[in-house]
Amino acid sequence: MLIELNVENRLKAVLEDFIEDWGLDEPIERATTLVEDLGFDSIDVIQFIVAIETAFEQRNLGFHELIMKDGRYVDDLSLGEMVEFVEQRLRA
Amino acid sequence: MTQTVLIGLDGATFTVLDGFMKDQPGEGVVMPFLARMIETGYSGTLASTAHPLTPPAWTTVCTGRTPGAHGIYDFVRFEDLGDDVFFTLYDARDIRVETIWQIASHAGKTIASLNFPMMSPPPEVRGALVPGFVSWKHLRRNMYPQALFDRIKAIPGFDAKELSWDFEREGQIGDVMEDSELYRWVENHLPRDRQWFNIARTLLEEDDPDLFAVMLDGTDKIQHQAWHVLDPELWDPAKGEDARAVRALVLQYFRELDGYIEALVTAAGPEAHVIIVSDHGFTGAAKVVRINEHLGRLGYLEWRASDGSEQSRRRDMANFANLDWTRSRAFCPTPSSNGIVIRRKSEKFPGGVTEAEYESFREKLIEDLMKLTDPDTGAPVIKEILKREEAFPGAAMEESPDLTLILCDHGFVSVRNRAPTVVTRPVPLGTHHPDGIFVMTGPGVENRSGQHLSIVDTTAIMAHALGLEIPADFEGRVPATLYDPDWRAENPVRIGAARAEAGAGAVSTSKEDASAEQKEEMLAQLRLLGYIED
Repeated sequence: MLIELNVENRLKAVLEDFIEDWGLDEPIERATTLVEDLGFDSIDVIQFIVAIETAFEQRNLGFHELIMKDGRYVDDLSLGEMVEFVEQRLRA
Repeated sequence: MTQTVLIGLDGATFTVLDGFMKDQPGEGVVMPFLARMIETGYSGTLASTAHPLTPPAWTTVCTGRTPGAHGIYDFVRFEDLGDDVFFTLYDARDIRVETIWQIASHAGKTIASLNFPMMSPPPEVRGALVPGFVSWKHLRRNMYPQALFDRIKAIPGFDAKELSWDFEREGQIGDVMEDSELYRWVENHLPRDRQWFNIARTLLEEDDPDLFAVMLDGTDKIQHQAWHVLDPELWDPAKGEDARAVRALVLQYFRELDGYIEALVTAAGPEAHVIIVSDHGFTGAAKVVRINEHLGRLGYLEWRASDGSEQSRRRDMANFANLDWTRSRAFCPTPSSNGIVIRRKSEKFPGGVTEAEYESFREKLIEDLMKLTDPDTGAPVIKEILKREEAFPGAAMEESPDLTLILCDHGFVSVRNRAPTVVTRPVPLGTHHPDGIFVMTGPGVENRSGQHLSIVDTTAIMAHALGLEIPADFEGRVPATLYDPDWRAENPVRIGAARAEAGAGAVSTSKEDASAEQKEEMLAQLRLLGYIED
């Protein structure tokens, strides 16, 4: 439980810091999606993953497994999906 | 007290500047301050990197090393996975050697570095570093130190969107525009350099760093699109009203630029050495050379079949080669590279070129490429082909293209799947020329013009002017004629130990080198959401 709460809070903080200058009023919740809700483009996704890796001081979280589904690349991601993914990786 | 000022003018060329430093009918002297610097200082042409392109060339200025050592060859780098090729962007973590910002910092000097490309994520320095070519959305997090953003934000008139790289706008470079559209495009570029100048003046006046460096790149962007109103051989005042309006606006930009230079030089004071350089020069290119189309005709590559979808159409229009990677043995990855890559045999690509056949394959490829002619004139469209060991010797040579093409008009190639192979544009577009500019003033600097320097000399000159030893592995030199004998005797050139090969990004990020898996991950990220469609 502690890990879950910790990861969610930290990822939320990373995301809030990431979009601080974007002028968005969107509340950040687990259901918040990067593309649909926050207007991410592909460069933003790359930068965000780098920001997460930096925050967690890990570069081997294997985000490609989250991004690729059945050989295709996903169209969007929610914060909740990223939280679950990072939690899973930190436990492994 | 600031000792050394570097002002980078992306793509600046004496082809254009010479006219602006003279009194011209109806236009006056556009750049009187630069004219005075040249009248009193040391100047000449600056030979760019083997392929005169912004990322490798500015990285050479920042490191004192050629691309074969620093490892930056293009905006885009690719990874050949055998059965597929992924494209991603170069960044500071790919630079294999230290930058002058780090070398000076380690020597106890303070620095300010503004708008140089390939500086993100930023290295840790003693001072301030704001990288160039970064979207406004990521500016704050990519500054060193991060608190610098709040300070910059407080500068009157600051606008992050005006300051930052606009990927959509810069992606229009190379598009043919009507002059009325071009006017608006040029107009949008003027505020960007004003923003950089405001930051530059603030940091120079308030921080007084030992080494102060700023790069202004409006010169490059405007010359690319407005070459027809800038090239003295092409400009005709009798052209239409729209063209005259574009010319007047472009001249306004250069007048403002001259003012920025004067203000920065004045702020630095008379004891500072001031160096003005460009990463490459400029010229006009009239030919479109669809090099992959040519390689396809010769059987070196196969295009990826389109499924007719919108995604497929967009991918075909992207500036990355879109090929059937299971059947392509040689290709050009991007238009900016002007490079040809020979794909080697591997487990996943058994049809690749073997070590045994590499030399003969490469020679045949060169022969075939040199046969490409302009249908209008019958003349060869490729002037010269450089082998990688000629163009990019060094520890990073394996990352370079196998061949680098120099076209007859110095143009960039096209990687699109479109015929005919060679066509002539109605109006020449600006393109990079290997001869940039070098201007220097300051204590002891001789008054000479018409000199010939290499871009790697810039970093050695900077280090020396800062009072540092020049690292033994720097590839440039301080020209013997740069200073008067007395000053040179008092300030001899000292060669120090070679620097450890630590990349620019490694210092700040403390990240380990990316493993193959991590690189693949980054590539996968790029493919997300359509940046690279397949």
